[in-house]
Amino acid sequence: MKHPTVLLIAAILLLPLAVRPAIATEIWIFAVFGLGLNLLLGYTGLLSFGQSTFFGSAAYVAGWLLKHYGINVFFALGIGVGVGAASAAVVGYLCVQRSGLYFIMLTFALNQMFYFIAYQWTTVTGGEDGMPGVPRPAFFGIDFKDPLTYYAFVSLLFLLSLWVMKRIVESPLGKILQAIRENEVRAEAVGYHVARFKLLAFVIGGAFSGLAGVLYAMLFGIVPLEAISFVTSGNVVFATLIGGSGSLYGPVIGSFVFIWLSESVSTLWARWPLLLGVAFVIVVLFLRGGVVEAWTRFWTWRSSKHKA
Amino acid sequence: MALLETQSLTKSFGALRAVNDVSLSIEAGSLHSIIGPNGAGKTTLFNLLTGTFPPTSGRIVLDGRDITGTPAARVAHLGLARSYQRTTVFPAFSLLDNVWVAAFATGKSWRGLIWRKTGRFPEVGERARQALADVGLLAKADVPAREISHGEQRQLELAIALAAAPRVLLLDEPAAGLSPDETRKMVSLVRTLKGRYTIVLIEHKIDIIMSVSDRISVMHFGSLIAEGTPQEIQKNAEVRRAYLGGVAA
Repeated sequence: MKHPTVLLIAAILLLPLAVRPAIATEIWIFAVFGLGLNLLLGYTGLLSFGQSTFFGSAAYVAGWLLKHYGINVFFALGIGVGVGAASAAVVGYLCVQRSGLYFIMLTFALNQMFYFIAYQWTTVTGGEDGMPGVPRPAFFGIDFKDPLTYYAFVSLLFLLSLWVMKRIVESPLGKILQAIRENEVRAEAVGYHVARFKLLAFVIGGAFSGLAGVLYAMLFGIVPLEAISFVTSGNVVFATLIGGSGSLYGPVIGSFVFIWLSESVSTLWARWPLLLGVAFVIVVLFLRGGVVEAWTRFWTWRSSKHKA
Repeated sequence: MALLETQSLTKSFGALRAVNDVSLSIEAGSLHSIIGPNGAGKTTLFNLLTGTFPPTSGRIVLDGRDITGTPAARVAHLGLARSYQRTTVFPAFSLLDNVWVAAFATGKSWRGLIWRKTGRFPEVGERARQALADVGLLAKADVPAREISHGEQRQLELAIALAAAPRVLLLDEPAAGLSPDETRKMVSLVRTLKGRYTIVLIEHKIDIIMSVSDRISVMHFGSLIAEGTPQEIQKNAEVRRAYLGGVAA
């Protein structure tokens, strides 16, 4: 864990050799999604079980504009970030009024509401069939239809997102959100309007989710109904917890494990979710810090053995 | 001149009047203690002053300005900082981060809030270190708050309040749960703060109160029953009844 950036760049370069470009691309997209959730879950201590609301909304809106108006890729990404942030502002505003279990249920209930809108509004979203035909238009001669070009593009955006998130969690805001996680009453008493800071965390998390949503729609050329369903919300929570919600790199590792397992192992063994279940139980019972904690524990154990 | 005043402050919870028609006047630069038996309404009074909840009736005036009903997060910016009777710190944070967060909240500006690194706010860092130094915890700045002793957590509790550079310091039983030895340390600590801050102190231990206070107010069943210098309070018959005679008085 000494040089995470070096490791990460190596992983980005080597990954397309190991798995199909689409899967490799999906890993980094899901990692961006996880980064957004982790600001809420890991840093602010808010378990949002409705992140697909922002992911899916952004995918639908930007996908629709790409499909019918032929907007360029960067504009689509901007729209996605905006829609993600705006939907998170609305959902967040309602959810931060409550805490604990009520908070979680509210994020879930609002997710279901958005899901049913997408399910019913078939003329736009295609309902259960999804919204196919999302293009990946070329930009100044860069052909994003080429899987490896798109992979490189997504990888760069992922690195940019990671850098932005790193700056955020190392800023006073990151410290304040963690203070809210540690002790909400005291955070309020020392002068932070807790609800407003939670809302800000929501909006930032929503922006990351939105970016991921648009990249996802362009990757597969379709916005499936699943993109806005609670399954997607659950998956990102799952992946983040497995990777380790306490650290910046946790969701990145979690995304890698989750997507790799779901795409690679699923072709070998239909009951692969069983593996995820086992991994989840192990994390919850023994490794609250996920893979990241396992890794640090392993290295402390090794260095202590070397000394002896 | 009174820096902090309450006028007929009342708070009811259903039929219970936890704070009943309390009018207090805290002189700038003084150490004003509030004593009273358990359940007298002292902490509720603090909760009203810091905006944890609004009063049922009455007014709170800080430096001539009516601040009644101001929410907690705003009150901190007006220059009121409190410590808690039950230790209320940020357990996973280092001691320095505990006070840093409080120092940043009331800092001059929040520019760079979501972008600049926390290490690049020299003025905030300086204030945070000063607050730790004031309570004698600077040597443990990098230790997580959950790993220090109860006595040290009480000191940290105080440091978080100090880091806000408040005009009025509200201390809710700073010596709660401390050994006699730790209590002596805490008393001398409060003594060093005296004069630098206007302090309102809630305390149970009478001997502490008598030795450090400029003025004392006595609460009983939500009401003020006496106010005066330590000597006056010691002689007051009603106060003796409240403390010695108990409920029947």
